[in-house]
Amino acid sequence: MALKPRKNIRIEALERAGRSSAFRRYRDLIRVSVREVVRKRRRYIGVVAAIALSTAGFIVIITMGNDLKKNFNNDLDLLGGATIINPYFEKKSYERLEWFRPRTMEAIAKIPGVLSTTRVTLKTGAVTTWKDRLFGFNLVGVEASYWNVFSFNAAEGRLFDDQDVAEGAKVVVVGTDLARQIFGGDKEAIGQLLSIDDNLYRVVGILGGVRAGDRSQFAFLPITTAKARVVGISDPYSAYVRCATWDDVVPVSKALPQVVAASQEDRGLQINVATEPLEQVKRIFWWVSLFIYSSIVATMILGGFGIWNIMMAAVVSRTREIGLKKAMGALDNDILYQFLFEALCVTTSASLIGILLGRIGVEYMSHLIGANPPEGLFLMCLAGGLAFSIILGVGSGLYPSIRASRMQVVDAMRYE
Amino acid sequence: MNNTASQDNFTAADDIVVLVSHLTKDYFNGEEKIPVLKDINLEVRRGEMVAVMGPSGSGKSTLLFCLGLFQQPTSGVYRVAGVDVLSLTRTQQALFRRETVGFVFQTCDLLENSTVYENLELPLIYAGVRKRERPDRIRHALDMVNLGHRIRQPSNRLSGGERQRVSIARALVNDPEFILADEPTGQLDRENSLRVLEYFQKITDEARTAMVVVTHDAMTSEHCTRKCVLSDGVLEG
Repeated sequence: MALKPRKNIRIEALERAGRSSAFRRYRDLIRVSVREVVRKRRRYIGVVAAIALSTAGFIVIITMGNDLKKNFNNDLDLLGGATIINPYFEKKSYERLEWFRPRTMEAIAKIPGVLSTTRVTLKTGAVTTWKDRLFGFNLVGVEASYWNVFSFNAAEGRLFDDQDVAEGAKVVVVGTDLARQIFGGDKEAIGQLLSIDDNLYRVVGILGGVRAGDRSQFAFLPITTAKARVVGISDPYSAYVRCATWDDVVPVSKALPQVVAASQEDRGLQINVATEPLEQVKRIFWWVSLFIYSSIVATMILGGFGIWNIMMAAVVSRTREIGLKKAMGALDNDILYQFLFEALCVTTSASLIGILLGRIGVEYMSHLIGANPPEGLFLMCLAGGLAFSIILGVGSGLYPSIRASRMQVVDAMRYE
Repeated sequence: MNNTASQDNFTAADDIVVLVSHLTKDYFNGEEKIPVLKDINLEVRRGEMVAVMGPSGSGKSTLLFCLGLFQQPTSGVYRVAGVDVLSLTRTQQALFRRETVGFVFQTCDLLENSTVYENLELPLIYAGVRKRERPDRIRHALDMVNLGHRIRQPSNRLSGGERQRVSIARALVNDPEFILADEPTGQLDRENSLRVLEYFQKITDEARTAMVVVTHDAMTSEHCTRKCVLSDGVLEG
């Protein structure tokens, strides 16, 4: 072997070379860190699972939250229709009672947060005869949207639709108690003819749904039919507005007076909001949300502590390795970044698994409740999840990394 | 051998790689001063292999840590390849160490779960060597210890002798000016010890690398070009 030339060692040149090769060095250190984590993956399984599941939970809850709320609202009828607002006109002294015009209903339907609207006409104390017996009931003229607003369905037969309303069809839907009293049962009522004010109406359906019990003594005619054929029935002075979520109830109820006033005479307008059930629902949901978010945050923090603990243990168990690396010329920063990259590698991979699980969860939930959550919200959650994993990785890995980087070579090499 | 070098000898131009003059190291136990190294003077030239022997507690490891820039001596002068290394900052010393000094330890200290290649790649990563240059340098270092065929072998599947040879190759991979070896044959049988010492001689003869071997093994010291004895912190020989 030829005699090697002596190195011309200049400290400034070494420092300059160190700076210029920093990018290459850190890129290689990332590769070494990833390799280290992959080879020792078993020790990270617990924390990766915790962070992945909490990230997935976070993504599903945030992305699906609004759709879940809407879906939950469908079931709110159990609590008295907390998302249904009832605007109505009240008679003031001898002045004529105002009623909701079609253009007003169209304007109300355009208020942000309004899901559907309907208006009703009413005749209390209507009577009919059946097999020489007299029966009294409340007669309501409704639009087809009435069923949607109150989430009614047909316990038997069918509910009349827009076409029946448009044609002024002589069909009637009756409450279940009324059907039992007059005809002896739901099934028996279907197809029978009910006589009201000398007009015969065919029974096409029996009212069903969570709140159908409140209207079990009612008979429902298409609003057009009722107005044309029933003597003494009121104008539609009462309407119902269903909001998308309970968060929309207050803004919609505040907007209603202006919208009505802009469309017609608003004399005697009253807005009835089911405040108590609304507050009750909000309270329940707030506690449930608090519980869920607390669980997610607690799981993430536990994941962070897990990483912190593992990294601290790694610093102790790899003390000689740290000393050796420093002996080989690793700078303090090289050691710091290697440990930090390892922590980041764990949290980022956990977060990516969480995002994947979250996506699956969102797809499944969307399919389950028939929702279509905005893609932008998912992407925002994705970015949020990744950002949080970086914060968690740096937060939990920084102290152990600093400790490792500041270790004295002598202490490290003497460590048994 | 001249271990009474004076300041006048400190020139970068000659063959002296390591020059230690009047070096002392004291430890303190509260107010009590415990001198560990007393007025150490040492010169090591290119191609020289110097054995530092001594009983346990004589200060061998402390001297090695001072020479390796792991520990700052209390006083004295220490130059490597003409550079006054004690005047450097901690970071500068680390930069200097990775370019100039190679280490061989008694316990080999190879990275577990890593291949021979990955073990030798690490010093090159720290030195910022380009990826495409690394395979040649690693192969060259392994050829020096006849382990080129084990390049992809996981380090935990190597025998004790092979592990020590890999650690020698790792010390060589950055082409250091001198190598510090701490009991390099301490955990090896006679046959493997002889092989390792033959490689040391090959390195000093062919690559003209200077070497300081801290040992208490007589056979190891016999393979060195010079032998110094450290006793109660005083280097003689």
